[in-house]
Amino acid sequence: MPAVRADKLYKIFGRRPGRAVELLADGRHRDEIKSLNVTAAVIDVSFEVQPGEIFVVMGLSGSGKSTLIRMLNGLLPPTAGSVEIEGTDITKLGKSGLRRLRSEKVSMVFQHFALFPHRTVLDNAAYGLEVRGVARSEREAKAREALALVGLDGWELKVPGQLSGGMQQRVGLARALAADTDIILMDEAFSALDPLIRRDMQSQLLELQESLGKTIIFITHDLNEAMRLGDRICVLRDGRVAQIGTAEEILNDPANDYVAQFVEDVDRTRVLTASSVMEAPIPVVDPGQGPRAALRTMRENQTPWAFVVRRNRRLVGAVGETAIGEAVRDNAKEIDGIVETGVERVHPDTPVADMFGQAAESSYPLAVVDDQERLVGVIPRVTLLAALASSVGDNGEAEPAAEASGDAAESAPGTEAAADGETADEGPQSAAQTESDRGDDAPATEGSRQ
Amino acid sequence: MSLTSYAVPVPRIPVGQTFDAAINWLRVNFQAVFDFIGLIIETCVDTLFALFSAPSATQFTLAAAAVTAGGLLARKRYVPTLIAVAVWAGFYVAEVSAGLAAGVITALPAPLFLWAMNLFGAEYVYPPLVLALLLLVALVAISFTATRERRQWVLAGVSAGVLLLILALHFIVGVQLSLIVAALLATIALVVAGWRVALFSILGFLLIISMESWENAMSSLALILVATLVAVAISLPIGVLAAQSRHVSNAAKPVLDFMQTLPAFVYLLPAIAFFSIGIVPGVIATVIFAMPPGVRLTELGIRQVDKELVEAGEAFGAPDWQILRRIQLPLALATIMAGINQIIMLSLSMVVIAGMVGAGGLGNDVYTGIAQGDVPVGFEGGIAVVILAIFLDRLTGAVTRFSPAARAQRASA
Repeated sequence: MPAVRADKLYKIFGRRPGRAVELLADGRHRDEIKSLNVTAAVIDVSFEVQPGEIFVVMGLSGSGKSTLIRMLNGLLPPTAGSVEIEGTDITKLGKSGLRRLRSEKVSMVFQHFALFPHRTVLDNAAYGLEVRGVARSEREAKAREALALVGLDGWELKVPGQLSGGMQQRVGLARALAADTDIILMDEAFSALDPLIRRDMQSQLLELQESLGKTIIFITHDLNEAMRLGDRICVLRDGRVAQIGTAEEILNDPANDYVAQFVEDVDRTRVLTASSVMEAPIPVVDPGQGPRAALRTMRENQTPWAFVVRRNRRLVGAVGETAIGEAVRDNAKEIDGIVETGVERVHPDTPVADMFGQAAESSYPLAVVDDQERLVGVIPRVTLLAALASSVGDNGEAEPAAEASGDAAESAPGTEAAADGETADEGPQSAAQTESDRGDDAPATEGSRQ
Repeated sequence: MSLTSYAVPVPRIPVGQTFDAAINWLRVNFQAVFDFIGLIIETCVDTLFALFSAPSATQFTLAAAAVTAGGLLARKRYVPTLIAVAVWAGFYVAEVSAGLAAGVITALPAPLFLWAMNLFGAEYVYPPLVLALLLLVALVAISFTATRERRQWVLAGVSAGVLLLILALHFIVGVQLSLIVAALLATIALVVAGWRVALFSILGFLLIISMESWENAMSSLALILVATLVAVAISLPIGVLAAQSRHVSNAAKPVLDFMQTLPAFVYLLPAIAFFSIGIVPGVIATVIFAMPPGVRLTELGIRQVDKELVEAGEAFGAPDWQILRRIQLPLALATIMAGINQIIMLSLSMVVIAGMVGAGGLGNDVYTGIAQGDVPVGFEGGIAVVILAIFLDRLTGAVTRFSPAARAQRASA
């Protein structure tokens, strides 16, 4: 069951919206029905949001995104269509039913924070629970937890006016988190923050999302933000859905000229992150392996290098052909001594643009490591250049970048993999690793991309 | 030739007569209602006047008890405080209606009360005073046992101490009550508005006392306070409604304009018709005249609250009244207080007109001055009104800074 489902949603402001809905359903543009004296804000919008997903609604101002999000929690009643939250059609709920839904299932973060200036940070964060009638001690404990999550412990007794913009929005986020709803609506939540802080907040949101797994519907007018945060993105234009898809799909396969134009100016190197261009981390060898086994692994993959990882996938470093060759000559037992540990590392979220410098300095591919220093992928220089070169609509070139983002380990080369913008999942990778650990037959099916 | 033949006949619409007839009809049919309202207002004004001009020992004691109880309530010690007050109220009602407390007191050994009778030069033990003293003792005891907060201890100790001091000053030393009340009012000003206002009030009140206008000033103060209370009680809900609904707002606007622009003397007429001569029509006329800014500023204040904050309340599922009470009203408080301030100021300006219908007080002085050409009396009355006005204005102006919104603003500045 989807967490949120919008079905043919319309919102028409004006006296006689019925006729307008009919005309718009016929496919008329909203400017054509001006004569009816109505304003069509949202037209025929349908989508489903799965639990745990970050769904970004993106559009320019006037595209109806704020109206749309307010229909999802019933702040605005839709003119036509239905909204289902966890299977309940909220358009059929009465006033008190809507209130209960909002306090128990859907919380909201606002563009201008909407913190209550006369209440302390703690009371602000506890507001959702206060409305629900939770006892003071309990709600304050939960609010403290939420504030700690967003890194604001120690600020509980201040009032919002004493906080900077970024911190205020953290309080706004904590207020939504403390309300402990499964769904969080974020209405241009970071738009009022300056760029550096906005980036911080985006990272923090992604981090929190890792551990909390909320369903988040995020509204923004900033394409880069949408690309960064969204598992899927819904592009709105003049109230209608222009396209729904992952960041890569929208970037590489825009549904129409509007979207194409929209993404034209996007600095691809800023949108594409390490995780979306990286390739499967093959070949990998164990530091305990002998140089001959390592050499064989490298030969089978036709690469002049191999990354050295421990059993827990923690990256140790890399070895190169020449070093291995010497070790073989010297009859060394293990490769441990010849591992070069100073390999350039990048985080999966690092944008491509930030990797060129590092790539230029290193003779090895860039190692993509997560927060636990585990190797999740590699980026050879060639791949980096390919990502840069691939332009909108040029599918042939774009493919590797889009595809490499995901399950590269399990899909054979050339297969049209539906890349989901996610980093390679545990399964195939650890399989690949144990196989190379054994030192014998490296998986032949997982051919190199080089 | 005669021009009259071209005159368009304009019928005479009996506006005044209709109004008069309506008043008569109302008076005949709803006399009981008006009498009831009049009785309540008169009782309130009289009680307040008595409290300000010649407070009794019982009233002083109750005031001290109220301050202590207020502190306890502010520190959330609801249960013991309310029990004490309820027990007191029960005894008080029983005493007033059946003389019960007197029975209990006579049953107790006399030496317990002899000192008090000697102190107050009373022939007998006045039961309400005993009850009030017991209440105060109970509240002070609660303060010291139920709370660990030093400030509450200080509050309870100080109010009890000040009470003893006042009783000693008046009943033993023989200082006039007017001076004591003036000092108390100045103390309130000191706590609420700072030492400058306190200094001004004490000087101003001394001037009033020296002009021998103290009684009249207190009478006017009582009238103003009652009128303000009624006006606020009416205008606040209307303002809130007007802020919520455009229809109420549209309907209220012309009525408010009417109320504000109609010469104040004109609604003295129906007021007198309904309530006859005296303090009540004065209060009624004052209420009508002073109410509009209360409504307007309440509406304005609530409408000015950031829409996004109200939406935030809605988005978290808060019911409308909760949004009103916890978000809109606190944030509109500064504006609403400005409205209440305006109500008080307009009430003061009505004092003289109220004096004309026999409300007494400073208005009477001024009116006498005008009627008899007695410049000194009229001028002194006017000065006293100004002093009262400044005192009340500064006091209400300063109350705003205790609101949470204002505190937050100071903290973030």
